[in-house]
Amino acid sequence: MKIGTHWLSATAIALSTLTAVAHADTARVAAAADLRYAFSEIQPLFEKAHPDHKLELILGSSGKFMQQLENGAPFDIFFSADVNFPNKLVASGKAQAPVTTYAFGRIVLWSAKVDATQLTLKDLDKLEFRKIAIAAPDHAPYGARAKEALEHSGMWSKVQGKLVFGENISHTAQLIYKQAAEIGIIALSLAVNEALKSKAGYYLIPADFHQPLEQAYAVTSYGKNNAAAKAFARFMTTPEARQVMTRYGFVLPGETPQ
Amino acid sequence: MIEGNLTLTKGNFELQSGTFAFPAKGVSVLFGRSGCGKSTLLRAITGLDAGTRGHLSFKGQRWQDAAWHLPVPQRDIGFVFQDAALFPHLSVRGNLAFAARRVPSGRADDAIDSIASTASRVGVADLLDQSVTTLSGGQRQRVAIGRALLSRPRLLCMDEPLSALDWRAKAELLALIDTLARETCIPVLFITHSPLEVERLADRVIFMADGRIERIDSLPDALARPDSPLFDEEGPVSVLQGSLQASDEPGLAAFGNDTLRLRLSLAAGATPSATRLRVLARDVSLDTVQPQCVSILNQLPITITALHNTGQDRVTVVCHLADGQPLMAEITRYSCQALALTRGMRAFALIKSVALME
Amino acid sequence: MTTLTPGEWQAIWLTAKLAGLTTLILLIVSAPLAWWLAHSTSRLANPVAALVSLPLVLPPTVIGFYLLIVLGPQGAVGGTLEDLGLHHLAFSFWGILIGSVIYSMPFTVQPLREAFATIDSRLLDAAATLRAGALDRFFNLVLPLSRSGILTAVVITFAHTVGEFGVIAMLGGSIPGETRVVSIAIYDLTQALEYGAAHRLSAILLGFSFVTLLLFYAINQRVMSPLKPR
Repeated sequence: MKIGTHWLSATAIALSTLTAVAHADTARVAAAADLRYAFSEIQPLFEKAHPDHKLELILGSSGKFMQQLENGAPFDIFFSADVNFPNKLVASGKAQAPVTTYAFGRIVLWSAKVDATQLTLKDLDKLEFRKIAIAAPDHAPYGARAKEALEHSGMWSKVQGKLVFGENISHTAQLIYKQAAEIGIIALSLAVNEALKSKAGYYLIPADFHQPLEQAYAVTSYGKNNAAAKAFARFMTTPEARQVMTRYGFVLPGETPQ
Repeated sequence: MIEGNLTLTKGNFELQSGTFAFPAKGVSVLFGRSGCGKSTLLRAITGLDAGTRGHLSFKGQRWQDAAWHLPVPQRDIGFVFQDAALFPHLSVRGNLAFAARRVPSGRADDAIDSIASTASRVGVADLLDQSVTTLSGGQRQRVAIGRALLSRPRLLCMDEPLSALDWRAKAELLALIDTLARETCIPVLFITHSPLEVERLADRVIFMADGRIERIDSLPDALARPDSPLFDEEGPVSVLQGSLQASDEPGLAAFGNDTLRLRLSLAAGATPSATRLRVLARDVSLDTVQPQCVSILNQLPITITALHNTGQDRVTVVCHLADGQPLMAEITRYSCQALALTRGMRAFALIKSVALME
Repeated sequence: MTTLTPGEWQAIWLTAKLAGLTTLILLIVSAPLAWWLAHSTSRLANPVAALVSLPLVLPPTVIGFYLLIVLGPQGAVGGTLEDLGLHHLAFSFWGILIGSVIYSMPFTVQPLREAFATIDSRLLDAAATLRAGALDRFFNLVLPLSRSGILTAVVITFAHTVGEFGVIAMLGGSIPGETRVVSIAIYDLTQALEYGAAHRLSAILLGFSFVTLLLFYAINQRVMSPLKPR
């Protein structure tokens, strides 16, 4: 390890954190966990196009972010996996109108153990699947949709005893990846990522099995004067960003789903 | 004068001293059975317990008044504990320096000056750089005494400082304390339950029982009562004050003063500064006429001042020597009647054996 | 040795800062409290001791939850700050600092209290007769005699704060440079399936904790031996 250069970078970071003032051109983005891989590609594209702006990405469950924002968390813009959360925040004055839909998400069945491409939800009560992971339905939109899909297919009551809950959709993916659960329902945008795709394929759950995953963002009242946040919101409508989103399986507003 | 009236409750024990007053000079010994309140009173006088009530003044300076009290650090008291209470993280020098450093400027005292000279005075000069945790009991008490002296106190308090020592260390420390008390002229308040230590050191005795001061006597007066608490199974004891004198009698030393002269066979190495002689009453016989041809070395003229019946067949005769010092003799009642001893009578005391207190 | 990213360095530095400040604040706050607890005969002593020890048995999420409420913009503390035109404390470094101080307090108070209680009161009496006032006695007698307890308090508090997760997870929001300490960063990294980075940070934490305890035991032996009774 090059001690010298790392010490320098450590000191630089230390000095910058000591000031503890958010740089005016840095936006703190609270992003739903399903956007993890899509945003990890979009962030460098944005920063290249806008060299004077920087993004700090914090990923988690949309429900948790809503709670934190109600309690005054310092995020500048909120990309939720469910349009209801930013709507509530605008109603309570914690976010700015308008609430803009940026994508529609999809859920998939995925396992790190077996190839899910040949499976359907009806296979979930098989004995080989001792634990099934979904995101926590009460605050993670992807979890709520997973529950709806299971109810729609008549499997909910049969598999309820085998369910384990991830804190957000990303955590859920991790549980399955590490085979703490043999199989589970995660976001399409996660399943198409190389790390997971290389393990095994997925089964796309039909969109009419659940309410649509309307994903929307809003600028928070904390970030209302943040130039970078507004620039990022605009960037999401550019062809560059839309291409990345489509590659991750998101259906963009105005387009038809698969 | 040290005067006051103090109360203090510690756990189940209640100290109610009653009004007391005694001179702030010489050695005053607090004497009594275990648990009678000696330590509690000493701590109350020193001011170490916040619950002390009453009033107290030292040489006219108010130390305690109802619930107000002068804080301990301002009372100029040196204290020697039974277990020395040396600071374990400091060396001998460190402990002594702790005291020396906190003496307010302008306090000159020729008798006690530097750490080095105090250390030699108490006999720990070659231990200065040692850790106190490696010292013997006697050495620890020497350091404790030196440390107390270095703080230039106006009163020296000692709570049974010799109780935890073996007999040899006890004897050495007793001599040291005696010497220091005489040389430094600092009044000493000393606690012991050993009559021997009282007889060796005390100028006056404060008798305590059940949390109260019963009486305050000078040492001669304390010893002049046949029922004195200072006496144990050895019976009554007399302490004669004087000094060693020049003697031309071969094999004998002399002890006394202008009007008194006793002879003693001298063990090698007697302390020249010894000032007290201990005589057991049962070693004293009486003769109504000048004794002739008796082997007993010491035959002293006395006047009988009191006769007390003690026990079934014994009489304790309280006499006074030519210089006024009391001397007690224990004889059988039969002999007392046979000799027709009465108060005021002149007679001779034959002292079979004396012990030089050194 | 593989290299660390700037984000990882940031988390390490933030953790060191948090643990260092927490330990310093706790030493100053706990010393008088521990002294009082060691010597008080008041009836308040037991309730206060129980209150101080509460974080030992409470789930950290409970502490974090209550702190979030109190320090947030509607809370007693946070709301007052907001009214004064200042910022509330949730999701900030100062917020998790307060959380750490509360969470780690028993680990400072306990060793100090024990060290203070075992000091022979006659040593303090002797010092008083040698004209040492209360502060003089505290700095020149109590502290040197409590070396071992102070060392224990410092090491355990620091290490405990480094390992803190639950309180910061509730109260912190995982803001890089503000509240994303190493334990949170590791959690985030595992969620991102970045196991290499997670391994690196975990190994550093493990190594640090082990070396710290090793040094602590070695120093403790040397500190204690001169004070052992004969």
